[in-house]
Amino acid sequence: MRALPLERTPQPGVLRARGIALIRSREATVVAFIVVLGMFLEAVTGRFLAPTNLANVLLNSAGTAIVALGMTLVILTGGIDVSVGSMLGVGAVAVGYASAAGWGLGPLVLVGLTVGGLLGLVNGALIGFGGVMPVIATLGTLNILRALTFQLLRAKWISDLPPTLRNLGLGLALGVPISAWVALAITLVFVYLTTRRPLGRHIYAIGGNTEAARLAGIDLTRALLFVYTATGMLVGITALMYVGQTGIVQSNTGSGFELQVIAAVVLGGTSIMGGRGTVVGSVLGALLVAEIKNGLTLLNISGLAEGMVSGVLILLAVGADLLRLRGKRP
Amino acid sequence: VNPFLRFVATDRPRFLILVLALAFAGFALTTAEFATIYNVFNMTQYGVEIGLLALGETLVIISGGGSIDLSVGSMLSLSGVFMGLLTMRVGLNVWLAALLGILSGGLLGAINALFITRIGIPALIVTLGTLYAYASAALVLTDTVPISGLPEHFFVLGQSKVLGVPFQVLMIFIPVALVLHVALRRTIFGRNLHAVGTNEVAARFAAINVGAVRFWVFTLAGLLAGLAAVVMTSRVASARPDAGVGYELQAITIAVLGGTSILGGEGTVLGTILGVLVITVLSNGLQLAGINPIWQLGAVGIVLVVTVLLNQWLARRGLRLA
Repeated sequence: MRALPLERTPQPGVLRARGIALIRSREATVVAFIVVLGMFLEAVTGRFLAPTNLANVLLNSAGTAIVALGMTLVILTGGIDVSVGSMLGVGAVAVGYASAAGWGLGPLVLVGLTVGGLLGLVNGALIGFGGVMPVIATLGTLNILRALTFQLLRAKWISDLPPTLRNLGLGLALGVPISAWVALAITLVFVYLTTRRPLGRHIYAIGGNTEAARLAGIDLTRALLFVYTATGMLVGITALMYVGQTGIVQSNTGSGFELQVIAAVVLGGTSIMGGRGTVVGSVLGALLVAEIKNGLTLLNISGLAEGMVSGVLILLAVGADLLRLRGKRP
Repeated sequence: VNPFLRFVATDRPRFLILVLALAFAGFALTTAEFATIYNVFNMTQYGVEIGLLALGETLVIISGGGSIDLSVGSMLSLSGVFMGLLTMRVGLNVWLAALLGILSGGLLGAINALFITRIGIPALIVTLGTLYAYASAALVLTDTVPISGLPEHFFVLGQSKVLGVPFQVLMIFIPVALVLHVALRRTIFGRNLHAVGTNEVAARFAAINVGAVRFWVFTLAGLLAGLAAVVMTSRVASARPDAGVGYELQAITIAVLGGTSILGGEGTVLGTILGVLVITVLSNGLQLAGINPIWQLGAVGIVLVVTVLLNQWLARRGLRLA
């Protein structure tokens, strides 16, 4: 459990207890996993710690990490959003067309945020106002938006884009990908939101016990609209990076992305039942997923085996954590 | 509320029959080839594989406690590949290989079940992991190349007709559905399954072995995926390592459309079959009408959301839902 910031000058005993809690936390397990895997890869291949390789890992984790922030909030409320991959498809098409029409960076960002936000709002409205179960509502929009992506592209690709978004997708600042800086900035906002703002605490409360949260006067509809819309907007940002990175938009853009994001969130220790988890854990989860993929490339393991390795690691990480904590958590 | 609307919308099977009738009438009026007897019988074959997966998904979701199986599509791919390899590389008789293929599906399901019931990892996470793992194993084993060259007498399963009806519909899907229907309605297993899904704690106090019930539904989902793999391999005359990609979401969609409650404890074989029929008719009709196949999925999404919204709307008007 996370200690609440009630006392201003904690006693040494409290600090010690917090230290133990930190070491026992899921985040610590994931960090340990990341470090051990990194050391192993460096020892075996000697290329993992090369600056360009590390930059690559960060670049590949940024998009997943950003959407994982929103997905964490969604899962904290006890919901799930399986439509993020399809939203990424529609978002990338919108950004791709606008970029092909020669729009500048500012308007493009606006397009990404607006399209993503609106799609997320539809999910939020179905769930918050319509009372549809989150899995079902987003399964529905997953299918509808995938069809929409196809329809908008009319079986063609968008390519030969102007370099407006290249920097956002591939550029470096201080040796670190710009997309990773963006991810870091958004993460800080979400840490503040979830630990310090009433809305953030409401989100935890809803997932912990929905009925109790409602009786405590928390506006469920408002919180649900917020988490799904925010997730949509984050997908919009990822769509901008995606277009900048690949310079191409196809009708299967983003397909399967939802599973990658959900994997990052659950690896990061967020309980799928809601109410428990942190956004930092999810970002670490996204890093771990990217590191695993990178490791497979470095070790020259066929890309086909990637799923086997990530799948088994998901089971190992979550299983080990459960066995370790068996009986220690209430 | 209008009495007719009340009549159809408060009972999921009735509502789906109405949707089915409307879709059928719409396609019959607009597309000449649709309402021919040949087409009506013929299109049912395309519903068999996804229907078997959806039946497995129905059992899993009924068992409650967040039970869901995201790996059914991957189990289909991998058990199809097993079957193909056993026939073409090991040289086993194709029918024996098919039987082993079905059993290997059951084994994959049992692996899911062990992680869920023994270690206690949530089903969503376990099957997300095995969704990746099984799909990737199928690709690695075949190096992405479909396995073809199976003996022709095996194709009777997926390419022949009995009394004008596709073989796999009359001889595989209908018998399996009947057995599952009876199992849910008339056996102790069915009772226990609904009890576990409705109230796990109460079921435990009633001396029902909750872990065993969940173990068997996940294993059954695997067996059904294996069976679907065999049918599909026979129908398309090859074992494709990516045969089941994306099927998991369709199977869940169909189960939920058929009235299975995602919270567990509720769901029927009849509802799921009607869900499969709605989706099959939509796919076939849209295809004949020359609409892009991707809209088949889009239409499924729309039907799903509208159905559930309508149910919620009626619930707020105090109508009892079925």
